[in-house]
Amino acid sequence: MGRTVGGPILEVEGISLSFGGVVALQAVSFDVREHEIRAIIGPNGAGKSSLLNVINGFYHPQEGSVSFMGTKRRSVDPHEAALQGIARTFQNIALFRGMTTLDNLMTGRALKMKSSFVQQVIYWGAARREELEHRARVEEIIDFLEIQHIRRTPVGRLPYGLQKRVELGRALAMEPELLLLDEPMAGMNVEEKQDMCRFILEVNDQLGTTIVLIEHDMSVVMDLSDRVAVLNYGRKIADGTPDEVRHDRAVIDAYLGVAQ
Amino acid sequence: MAEALQDTFPRLLLHQARVRPDRPAVREKDLGIWQMWTWAQALEEVRALACGLAAQGFKRGDRLAVVGDNRPRLYWAMMAAQALGGVPVPLYQDAVAAELAFVLQDADIGFAVAEDQEQVDKLLENIPKCPQLERIYYDDPSGLRHYAQAELTSLDALQALGREHARRHPEFFDAEVAKGRPDDIAVILYTSGTTGNPKGVAQTHAALIETARVLVAFDGFTEEDEVLCYLPMAWVGDFLYSYAQSLVAGFCLNCPESPETVMIDLREIGPTYYFGPPRVYEAILTQVMIRIEDAGWLKRRMFHAFMALAKRVGMNILEGKPAPLKDRVLYTLGELLVYGPLKNVLGLSRLRVAYTGGEAIGPDLFDFYRSIGVNLKQLYGMTETCVTVSMHASGEVRLETVGKPMPGVEVRIADSGEVLVRSPGVMREYHKSPDATREAIDANGFFHTGDAGFFDAEGHLKIIDRAKDVGRLAGGALFAPKYLENKLKFFPYIKEAVCFGHGRNEVCALVNIDMAAIGNWAERRNIAYSGYADLAARPEVCELVRECVEKVNRDLAADAALGGSQIHRFLILHKELDADDGELTRTRKVRRRHIAEKYSTLVEALYSGKPSCFVETQMRFEDGRTGTVSANLAIVDAGTFNVAAARKAA
Amino acid sequence: MTHLLYGIFIDPFVQMAAAPDLLVQTLWEGLVSGVLYALIALGFVLIFKASGVFNFAQGIMVVFSALTLVGLNEHGVPAYLALALTIVVMLVLAIAVERVILRPLVNQPDIILFMATFGLTYFLIGLGELIFGGDPKIMISDQLRLPSGSYRIPVFGGYVQMQKIDIAATIIASLMVATLAVLFNRTRIGRALRAVADSHKAALSVGISLEQIWVIVWFAAGIVALATGIMWGARSNVSFALEIIALKALPVLILGGFTSIPGAIIGGIIIGVGEKFGEFYWGPLLGSGIESWLAYVIALVFLLFRPQGLFGERIIERL
Repeated sequence: MGRTVGGPILEVEGISLSFGGVVALQAVSFDVREHEIRAIIGPNGAGKSSLLNVINGFYHPQEGSVSFMGTKRRSVDPHEAALQGIARTFQNIALFRGMTTLDNLMTGRALKMKSSFVQQVIYWGAARREELEHRARVEEIIDFLEIQHIRRTPVGRLPYGLQKRVELGRALAMEPELLLLDEPMAGMNVEEKQDMCRFILEVNDQLGTTIVLIEHDMSVVMDLSDRVAVLNYGRKIADGTPDEVRHDRAVIDAYLGVAQ
Repeated sequence: MAEALQDTFPRLLLHQARVRPDRPAVREKDLGIWQMWTWAQALEEVRALACGLAAQGFKRGDRLAVVGDNRPRLYWAMMAAQALGGVPVPLYQDAVAAELAFVLQDADIGFAVAEDQEQVDKLLENIPKCPQLERIYYDDPSGLRHYAQAELTSLDALQALGREHARRHPEFFDAEVAKGRPDDIAVILYTSGTTGNPKGVAQTHAALIETARVLVAFDGFTEEDEVLCYLPMAWVGDFLYSYAQSLVAGFCLNCPESPETVMIDLREIGPTYYFGPPRVYEAILTQVMIRIEDAGWLKRRMFHAFMALAKRVGMNILEGKPAPLKDRVLYTLGELLVYGPLKNVLGLSRLRVAYTGGEAIGPDLFDFYRSIGVNLKQLYGMTETCVTVSMHASGEVRLETVGKPMPGVEVRIADSGEVLVRSPGVMREYHKSPDATREAIDANGFFHTGDAGFFDAEGHLKIIDRAKDVGRLAGGALFAPKYLENKLKFFPYIKEAVCFGHGRNEVCALVNIDMAAIGNWAERRNIAYSGYADLAARPEVCELVRECVEKVNRDLAADAALGGSQIHRFLILHKELDADDGELTRTRKVRRRHIAEKYSTLVEALYSGKPSCFVETQMRFEDGRTGTVSANLAIVDAGTFNVAAARKAA
Repeated sequence: MTHLLYGIFIDPFVQMAAAPDLLVQTLWEGLVSGVLYALIALGFVLIFKASGVFNFAQGIMVVFSALTLVGLNEHGVPAYLALALTIVVMLVLAIAVERVILRPLVNQPDIILFMATFGLTYFLIGLGELIFGGDPKIMISDQLRLPSGSYRIPVFGGYVQMQKIDIAATIIASLMVATLAVLFNRTRIGRALRAVADSHKAALSVGISLEQIWVIVWFAAGIVALATGIMWGARSNVSFALEIIALKALPVLILGGFTSIPGAIIGGIIIGVGEKFGEFYWGPLLGSGIESWLAYVIALVFLLFRPQGLFGERIIERL
C-alpha cells in the first residue's frame, strides 16, 4: 500500500551560480528519488530558492549540470522544464491575480491542450470537447483541495492562505512528475498549515508525485520529508534523513543552534 | 400492496417513485456539475442501502446515526433505516467527538453513516466509550485509504452488498416497508437544551407527515418547487422542511457542493422556498451591503435611492395594499434596475415564500427583504411540536407577531402566561426520559413550550420571552424583560439593554450604546469624544437614546397586555458590558442577576428619582490588568404613553 | 464677455436644436473617426497588456502596413495577393520584433523597451521610404473592392450623408473587436494571453512560452494596424503624415485605460465624437486649431476624476 521510493529522478551536480560578484550557490550537488518528499532547509539567503530556480530553469548556473529523468543539461528554459513535468509554486505567490481560480487552474493545463489556434477559432467543437476534458480534471483538483467555493473568484481577492492553495492547485493541474514547493506554508495559521500538510502528503501518496519543498517550520519538515538537504551560504552542509540532520553538528551550529 | 397507503416515509417514497418516477428527487453539485437523481433512481439507491444494512444485521427498532453535511446518500440512509423499521438519528456535523458521545450512548447507536474522514475520525474516537457502535459507513473515501478499522465500510460497498441481497431476496424491501406503522418512531432529533444533556425528541411518522401535509397545503407546494438543503440535518427544520415536505409534495432537494458554496449554489438553483434563522438573512444582507460599498458610484446611488423607495412603498405593494400610481411605476423601474438584479444575485428571484424563525428578527432586516418583494414570514415552533405552531399567512404578515395558529393546532395561554400547544405534531416522548416527557406534556396532551406569550386583538400569537423570565410589576402588569430589551436592541444605536421591573412600580433600564453606530453618528455631527465613557455621557447621546426608548414606549402603549411595562427611566452605562467582567455569557447573553447585584446602586438610583448617580466599577482591560472606572451618570426620564384600551379578546 | 459666454454655452446648443440633421451628421462622423482611433488604441492595449511595453511604433505600423500593401500593388502584385503578402510581412515583423528587441531585452526596465520601440519607429520609417519612396500614395480601394460613394438618408427633414467606406470601416472594426474578444475570453490562447499579462513568472512556470505569446500579440497588433491603415488610407491617402493620428491614440488610452479593450473602444468613440462636436460647434469661436488639442483636454478632464481610466483595472494592493 502507498508509495515506494524509487531511484533518483533528479540529480543536481556541482551547481555554481552567481550574480555579478555575489555567489548564490557553490558546487551544490543533491539528488531526489522518485516518489520521495525531499526538503531543503537553511537560513535566509542560504540559496534555497535559487536552487529551485535552477531546477525549473529560471536561473542558468555557470557551472554544473541538472539531470532530470535521464536528460542531462546545464541549463533549461522554464518552458522546457514544464514540458518535462516540473511544476512549482513560489515563495511570494505568483498567481494570475485578475483571473478566477478556475482559469488559474486551467492555465496549468496549457501544455496538455493540443488543439491548434485555427481549431480553436474555427473548429469550435473539437476545441470545446478538449476544454471540457481538461475542465473535468481541474474539477477533481478543486474537489481535492476543497476550493469549490472560490471557483469563480478572481484570485487577487482571496486571502493569503487560499491563494497558496490555488497556487498548489495550478501546479497540480500540470500533473507534474516533480513538484517544487517554495515555502508552501509561509504565513499560514495552524489550521491552514495542517490542511496544506495533508494535501502535500496525499499528493505524494495517491498520485506518487515526487516533491521537493523548502520550508522554515522545522516540525513540518521533520514530519513530512523523507530526506533533508541543508544549505548554508550557498553550500550544502548536510544531507540525510530528518533524524540524521537533526543531530548533525554542522547543522546545529549553522542553523538550528541559531534558531534556538 | 395497498396503493393508497402513504402513511410512513418509506411508503411515501414508493408512492413518489410510482407517480412521478422521472421527476427530479435530489440534486447535488459534484465536481462542478449538478448531478440529478429521479424519484425512481432515489428509490433504487434507498433499496440498495436498506438491503445492505439488513445484510449487515440492522434490525427493526435499531437506530442509525447519520452525521455530515447535507448529502443525498445521507438522506437516503435515513430513509433506508426507516424502511427497515429502524430509527435514524441525525447528529450535528460540527459537534466535537466528546459531544457526540452522549447521543451515541443515549440512543444506543450500533450503526452510523458518516460523510467523510472528519466525521469518521470523531466516531472512531468514541468507540472505546460506545462499544455497541459496530458499523461505520462513509460516503466520501478521500483520506480514508489507509484506515484499517474493522468497523469501517464505504457506502459504495454497502450498496453493492445490498444489491446482491436484493437480487437474492427481491421481495424483501417491499415486505419490510409493508411492516411499518404510522405510529412507529420515524426519527429521534436531539435538541441542545440550555442546561444539562441534550434530549432526544422522538417523533412518529404520523406526526411528521401530518404536519408536513398541513405546511404543503398552507403555502401550496407542488412537485415544481425547489429547495436548497443547507441547514444541519440534525435540526428539525431540515428534517421537516426538506426531507418530509419533499416526500409529501414530490419536489426536489438540492444539496450544496460544500458548506462554503451555499451562496453560489443558492444562485444557481434559485429555490422557490427558503427557510433560515435570522442570522442567515443577516449574513446575506451584510454581503449585499459590502458589495454595494464596493460598487461604482452610479450603482451605489441607484441602490440607495431605490431602497429608500422600497422602504416607503415596497411592503404595501407586496401585500397588495393601495399605493400611488407614481410609486408603483417607480417601484417597477426599481424592480428592473435594482431589486430584480439583487434578488437574482442572491438566488432569491424565483422565491415564492421564505420563512424565518428560531429567534426574533430585527425590523430592519425583516423590512429589507419584504420591501424588495421577498415574501418573508415568521413562524413559531420547536422540535417537540414539529415546529409549526403558528405562522404568518401570506398577506397577514406582521413583524411583531408569529402569526395565527396553524390548522389543527390548539394553542392555549396558561395563567402563568406560558404558551401551551396541542397538535398532531406534538412529539411522542423524550427518548428514554419518561420524567421529562411527563413534565413537558400534561394530562390533556398539551405541550408546555416554556415560552411566554399572548394573543393580540387580531388573534396573532405574540411570543415575548422565556416563561421563567417573565415577571409582574407591583401593579400586576406583565413584565417581559427580554422582549423590551430586544425592542431596544433593534435600534442600531443600542447595543445592550437590561430592564428591571419585577415586583416594582415601573420599569427602568440600563443601556449600552453601540460605539460604532453612535461614534459614526457623532462624527457626522462634529461631536468630539475621547472614548466610550465620554461618548456615553454626552447629552446629545442621552437625547438620542431617549428618542429610541420613547419609540419603544409608543409601541408598547399600543398593546393592551404590555402597555403597563413602558420604560420610565434609564441611564447609559459608563462601560460596555463584557463577558470578561462576567456581565455577559460567552454567547453574549446578558447575565441579568449578576448585573442587578453589581450595579445595585445604579438600579436603586433609577428608582429613587435622583437626577444622577456616582458609580465606581472594577473592570478588566484588554491587556489583562484590572482597574477602576468611575463616572457620574445622568438618569434620564422617558415619556410614556396612554395604553390603548383592551380591545375584544381574540 | 457675454458674447463669449453665449458663444460657448448657448449658441452651440441652439444650433444643435435648430438643425438636428447636422447634429446626426456630426455624430456619425465623430463615430467613424472614433472607431479608427479605437483601433489604433487597441493595438497599443494588446501589446501593453501582454508585454508591458508601450509601443511607440504602433502609429508607424499603421503607415508601414498600408504602404506595403499599396507598394506591392504598384509593383504589379494583384490586390488580394498583396493583402495576403502584407499579412505575412506583419507576421515576419512580429517575429523579428520578438527576436531582435523583446527577447534580448527581457527583464530590462520598461523605459528601455519603450526606447527600443522608438528605434523601431525610425527603422520602419527608413525601411518604408527606402523601399516604397516617400511620396504619398493612393489607397487601392477599388482593387480591394471597397465600396465607394455614399448614402443620403433623410433625417429630421434634412439629410445625413454617409460614406459607404465609413460604414464598411465601422463594420470591419466591429468584427475585428468581436474576434479579439472571443480570442481573449474563450480560447486557450486567450487564457495564456491573460496569464502573461498578469504574471510573467507564473506564466513561465506553467510552461507558457512568452516568446510565442509576444509573437501572437505583435502579429495581432500588426493586423489591427493594417486594417486601420486601409480604412484611414481610403479616406485620405497613405503617407507618413498618417503617423500623426497615432498621437490621437494617447488621449484614448488615457481615457480608456492602458489595459482595457472595452476602454479603448469606448474611449475612442468618446474622443472621436467629442472632437467632431468641438470642431463643428465650438470651432468657429475658438479657432480652427481646436482639433489638435481638444482630445487631450477631454482626456485630462477625465483623468482628474478617474486616474485608472474608464475601464482600467482598479489596482488592488494587498499587504
